[in-house]
Amino acid sequence: MAQSKLSADRRGWPFYALGAVFVAYVVFLYGPMVCIYLLSFQGPQGGLSFPMRGVSLHWFDQLIEQGDTGDLMGALSRSIPLALIVMALTVLISLAGGLAFRSRFPGSGTLFYLVIASLVAPGYVLSIGIGLMFQMFGFETNWYTSALGAQLSWTLPFGLLIMFAIFGRFSRSYEEASRDLGANQLQTMWLVVVPILLPGMIAVALFGFTLSYDEFARTLQTTGSTNTVPIEIWSMTQNVTSPSIYALGTLTTGLSFVVIGVSLGAIALIQRRRLGSVAGQE
Amino acid sequence: MAATVRKPGLSPIMSARLKSFALVLPLALVLLVFVVVPLAVVLAVSVFRYDNFEVIPAFTFENYQSVLSSHLTLSLYLTMLKLAAMTWICTLLIGYSVAAFLVFHVRSRLVAIGLFLLCTVPFWTSNVIRMISWLPLLGKQGVINQALMASGLIQEPLQFLLFSDFSVVVSYVHLFTIFMIVPIFNAMSRIDRSLFEAAHDAGAARWQTVLWVVLPLTKSGIVLGSIFVVTLVMGDFYVVKVMSGGTDASVVSAMYDDISTLLFPHAAASAAVLMIILTAMVAAILRLVDVRKELVSGR
Amino acid sequence: MDIETLVPMNASTATGRGAVELAGIVKRYADGTLAVDGINLRIASGTYCCLLGPSGCGKTTMLRMIAGHETPSDGEILIDGGNVVGLSPRERGTAMMFQSYALFPHLNVRDNVAFTLRVRGIGKAERYREADRVIEQVQLTELAQRLPAQLSGGQQQRVALARAIITRPRVLLLDEPLSALDEFLRLQMRSELRELQRQLGITFIHVTHTQLEAVAVADQVVVMDRGHVVQSDPARTVYAEPRSAYVARFMGGQNVLAGKLESVADGLATLRDAAGRGFALRVGGAVRATGQRLQFSVRRDHVRIAKLAGATVPPLNAVVGLVRAVEYQGTFVKVTLTLDAAAAEDDPFVAYVEEGDYFAGPIGIADRAVAWWEMDEMHALAAE
Repeated sequence: MAQSKLSADRRGWPFYALGAVFVAYVVFLYGPMVCIYLLSFQGPQGGLSFPMRGVSLHWFDQLIEQGDTGDLMGALSRSIPLALIVMALTVLISLAGGLAFRSRFPGSGTLFYLVIASLVAPGYVLSIGIGLMFQMFGFETNWYTSALGAQLSWTLPFGLLIMFAIFGRFSRSYEEASRDLGANQLQTMWLVVVPILLPGMIAVALFGFTLSYDEFARTLQTTGSTNTVPIEIWSMTQNVTSPSIYALGTLTTGLSFVVIGVSLGAIALIQRRRLGSVAGQE
Repeated sequence: MAATVRKPGLSPIMSARLKSFALVLPLALVLLVFVVVPLAVVLAVSVFRYDNFEVIPAFTFENYQSVLSSHLTLSLYLTMLKLAAMTWICTLLIGYSVAAFLVFHVRSRLVAIGLFLLCTVPFWTSNVIRMISWLPLLGKQGVINQALMASGLIQEPLQFLLFSDFSVVVSYVHLFTIFMIVPIFNAMSRIDRSLFEAAHDAGAARWQTVLWVVLPLTKSGIVLGSIFVVTLVMGDFYVVKVMSGGTDASVVSAMYDDISTLLFPHAAASAAVLMIILTAMVAAILRLVDVRKELVSGR
Repeated sequence: MDIETLVPMNASTATGRGAVELAGIVKRYADGTLAVDGINLRIASGTYCCLLGPSGCGKTTMLRMIAGHETPSDGEILIDGGNVVGLSPRERGTAMMFQSYALFPHLNVRDNVAFTLRVRGIGKAERYREADRVIEQVQLTELAQRLPAQLSGGQQQRVALARAIITRPRVLLLDEPLSALDEFLRLQMRSELRELQRQLGITFIHVTHTQLEAVAVADQVVVMDRGHVVQSDPARTVYAEPRSAYVARFMGGQNVLAGKLESVADGLATLRDAAGRGFALRVGGAVRATGQRLQFSVRRDHVRIAKLAGATVPPLNAVVGLVRAVEYQGTFVKVTLTLDAAAAEDDPFVAYVEEGDYFAGPIGIADRAVAWWEMDEMHALAAE
């Protein structure tokens, strides 16, 4: 970092002031989360707050073996497949939408504002609406029907906005070159567009998975009689007063971190391979 | 070979449009079925009588009357507006500072991206968990009170930390600041650095550059972030419910209570009122900037 | 309708060598702007042709319509006699090299070059053999496994070339192929392009806004202005005998002067301009009326110049003015005059004086000077 050394003497007070705000914000962001990860390893005698009375896996045991929650494993067995389905649909639908939105078409303005409306509409209101709609038309609400749709209404706007940003930097000349070289539309999509956009699509997949996996308000009235993980957590906040709830937090966040790590790692790998320096090869 | 021959009667513009329509169809269908129709159902239920899970197609304005004439409604909205305003100010100040630090003061682009991701990672984890993670910090026996008492700054534990407006706003800021950081970060990233040198050459002081160059160029980011934060707070129900210790209610948590007691029409009317107010607020903010231009052709 | 009647047979058989003909081509965009306004143009097979013009003149749109990436609003594009409008690039037998090359960033050099064979379903071994042959032709064999981001600008351009010629197209279309390169590489690639065209014997159509680039490589230079072709001729003709004042000014190296016709006899015309200067030049067969305004050009390097003091001013084909600028250009010196009684919109008068001549009798800024030339150096311009 020769560059920062060169001008290191020109760092003024705004750097230190803003840097302090940044550090404080990061502490504020992660501090509480770290606290509950620590507290989830509380000894059997420990309570909901510090100090730690020993270190144990007691509360994880309580959570999983003793069934402190209604049905954690059942909730996971729904939440994870649901998140995977939402992820796949979000990637496909956002990619198609991003391709379409590169040119104006009749109704594109309306659809765009509908996307924004879907993003900012109060989640619980949509949840009520979808629940009522299913009742009115005589369908049962279920995680793989009503909850799936409700979650898509939340993940698609994110997916689409990311796609817009990606396509803002994607030159149409790649597609023209592909066409020029004799590829048909399917080949152009599969051999050129998708591979080039892959890092962005992984980012969309990351949003699709995590936003679905953690979605709460829109799922609440749409998942029917069976719960997803966030709703299990919610019901625990209402009636569990032991560190088990922290254990659940640690577990579910751990899973999120694995997904985030894999996604970001994959993106970094692709980018590094693609932008690899000349020097690196010689 | 045959497929690419010029098709008589279908101009290139028309076939390009057909392609756009086909690509956008799944998106449009999902939004129609899971956003437009449900909101229409909410509106319908709000003006119909409703008994035992049956919508009785008899028009009534009772539900709105009951919502609008209630003092509770007014006080709920006042509470939420107050919370939204406090959250907005905090997220704006923090978000702007963090974005400015990352964009203008971190010199290596790679480090900036890394720090940006550091801010983003919690967004990909559970909101409910992140909210309750404040409980062991802010409680009467919590980390903050223990630390303050140990240092001798206070003798009695501070009561206002938990189950108060304070804890609610802290949670909101914790959850929603990222929605302010991202659009402002984007807007700032697009500013050409040579503008600062030009402003400096023209004799502008630092505050003048910020006020007359940076602020106008980041307006779109501020507007977008503000829309997200305000609508998220106004549409919230679980943070208020948990972090106020059950004393406060939000507009939506009142709906939640209605639903729990099967008062669907009342909840629907309340939802309709909230949607109208939110739409008006967003429309007012949108007058300030062309969001579509900002987002679709973001360069 | 039978497909065979819609597709000219010769469009898919590569017997021709890329004769291109444009007939009444119009391109109107949805917002109503006319990018190309009725162009007729013939490019013989095996020609190196440059489309030359300032930005926005429609040259790139022209190229993209020949390539099949845009559809003309009206008119026909014929390649070796068959109308190709509506056909895909592959059916046209054209290949395009994009301005920024559009190399696929996720594919290495070999896969980029072999891409077109891959989409035709040709097996790996065969397509790599063919790709390696072309890669060798552009001298990139050592870099075949590299990704585009790991190549220099010149290397990227060679990959783009290899990718375009692997299918042996009849017409190669190059959109500003040298604009992304630095000055040194530009000169080198320029001659390599010319050499490649000679080897392949196919038609090259090369879009550029740089006059020197066009005259250096092209057999045929097509000068465009606001959607029209204003001149299409061999490079030397365009430079030495510009058709109009626009071409003369755009190509550079010319002074454009004008006067009213006083007499025409036996192809010899005499003019007088507003300041009273007299000129005499040969004009072609076109009938011209006295009193008509006529523009003509004089090559800057064919003008002689001397200090006014002590010199005699010839009665015809000479101008007098004040020296405004003197720029040393290495092999010659550029002397700029503001002519006496010049109107504000008149071009300054420029003489390129050979280095040795200049320093034998130097002229300084603010000197008054006279410039004169032989009648044979004058060239009458068509009215615009």
